[in-house]
Amino acid sequence: MKTPSRIVLAILACTCTVSLAAQTIALPNRKGSEKFVVMGDAGTGDKEQYAVAATITKVHTLFPFTFAIMLGDNLYGGERPQDFANKFELPYKSLLDDKVEFNAALGNHDDPNQRFYKPFNMGGERYRTYKKGNIRFFILDSNYLDPDQVKWLEKELSASGSDWKIAYFHHPLYTTASRGPELENRKILEPLFVKYGVDVVFSGHEHIYERMWPQKGIQYFTAGGAAKLNQGDTHPGDLTEVGFATDRSFMIVEVAGDTMFYQAISGAGNTIDKGLLARHLGPDTKTVTASPGAAASTVGPVVLPAASTSPGVVAAGTAPANTTSVKPTPKKKVVVKKSRTVTRKPKKTTTTTTRTPPKPKPKPTPAKTPATKPDSGQVAHL
Amino acid sequence: MTLMRRRGPFTRLGIAGLLAVAAVGCSQKPPVDRNKEVFADFSKRVDTYATLQQRLADSVGPLDPKMSQNEIAARSSKLANAIIAARQGAREGDIFTPEVSTIMATIIKEEYSRRPQRILETRGDAQQELKDERPSFEPQVNQVYPTGAPLATFPASLLPLLPQLPKQVEYRIVTTNLLLRDIEANVIVDVMRNAVPQEKLP
Repeated sequence: MKTPSRIVLAILACTCTVSLAAQTIALPNRKGSEKFVVMGDAGTGDKEQYAVAATITKVHTLFPFTFAIMLGDNLYGGERPQDFANKFELPYKSLLDDKVEFNAALGNHDDPNQRFYKPFNMGGERYRTYKKGNIRFFILDSNYLDPDQVKWLEKELSASGSDWKIAYFHHPLYTTASRGPELENRKILEPLFVKYGVDVVFSGHEHIYERMWPQKGIQYFTAGGAAKLNQGDTHPGDLTEVGFATDRSFMIVEVAGDTMFYQAISGAGNTIDKGLLARHLGPDTKTVTASPGAAASTVGPVVLPAASTSPGVVAAGTAPANTTSVKPTPKKKVVVKKSRTVTRKPKKTTTTTTRTPPKPKPKPTPAKTPATKPDSGQVAHL
Repeated sequence: MTLMRRRGPFTRLGIAGLLAVAAVGCSQKPPVDRNKEVFADFSKRVDTYATLQQRLADSVGPLDPKMSQNEIAARSSKLANAIIAARQGAREGDIFTPEVSTIMATIIKEEYSRRPQRILETRGDAQQELKDERPSFEPQVNQVYPTGAPLATFPASLLPLLPQLPKQVEYRIVTTNLLLRDIEANVIVDVMRNAVPQEKLP
């Protein structure tokens, strides 16, 4: 081997090592919990998609999620058979080989015939519902929200007895990105989500990461940066609690009982945001009695420190506000956010979650500390 | 009768005339809902297309969930060719007749006038993003919808106002045109020109 080639290989190896080392999984990684990855707007087929896919693959070795949710724009441009290979099958080959199940929603760049593509598991439908553990997912086609679909959604939501209700679709109902939220869809969907207690909504379309302040008791995430990037296109403030638009991104999520843990990771492998949610949280202040059992089954200590750990993360509110710490010890008072308090009561096996009527969204206070701060080192290393 | 007797002959004539007019009015049929009639004709035309499409789809074989992407693409292409061949004489306005076009254009215009204008920043690449998600080709009847062109999000508040379509077809907007698009075959079935107000386009 010639020297320059060796140097290139050495640099590549170093890069890989550094990148892998930079990844820390901040989720509990509990046995028996539901683990999944969230990716949006992935199907470009360009090197950025492959780079993010490589990071997702590395994360999978540390955090063995069993399924993936795709938030639309699964294939940009052509949709010939070779496009399905180059923009999906090759970048995620390792995950597909490991039997990770992909569940796709349709975006505005997707031919609705993608619903017949078996690896997307759409069952020939533009919109559908499926269950994983104690989670009921509702996949919508936000590109064509016809009355039949709305009727179907209401029927399915009303019939769902699942603990968690998670909806996902392409166009965000809330975002601060320049193209703006899909207000018409919001007018139709939000009342149903509120009425039937949807907990979390994931959307793509905007090529950024955003976690909104809870809106009418629902937590909205925008995660459309798995290949494309709208550099700098997030504006934290009244609407967005954490935004990130300086690198590509994706999310990993773990649902254990009544708690959902989430972590947003940049294409380079840095943590952008992390935290947890209790089921049926209200719009701001909430006291939730969480099950001690959920925490007791933790593999290791679960500590989710400040949201911002990666350069470029912009957070609204004070830095301590984002502090999220959960420890498996009972009787611990767990601060989820500045406005949410989770109190664990020992010797109680069921989770009581109260849903309060919608209140005005909280006004974030101006940041007192820099929005970006280094990882505090409290992350659970697996 | 006492009252009638007290009135003069002109008053009596006037009352009788009014009664006659009222009687004629009551005997007439209630006014026909013109829109309903035109929409019924539109639906009939769409249903005729759907029947043809179903027959052709059956001839190329059903979509089997076990099909590979190559097979799905080949089937879609075969179906498109069969539709185009069977509708060689199709002309713009065969389904979007002038009558239904007038009514639909009014509905769309009214609906768009109620829509909030999006507040857009002047950021250059945001404008480019918006352009990228709007298809900008000149649609023609029997044209295969360009694979690389995005499908612009259809306004959700407009869909309930338009006649419902069978499962084979959907409405789509390309620039200012309203299309009927065959979903499985990806073929443009009909085009209604200038359906969307130009000034409302981003």
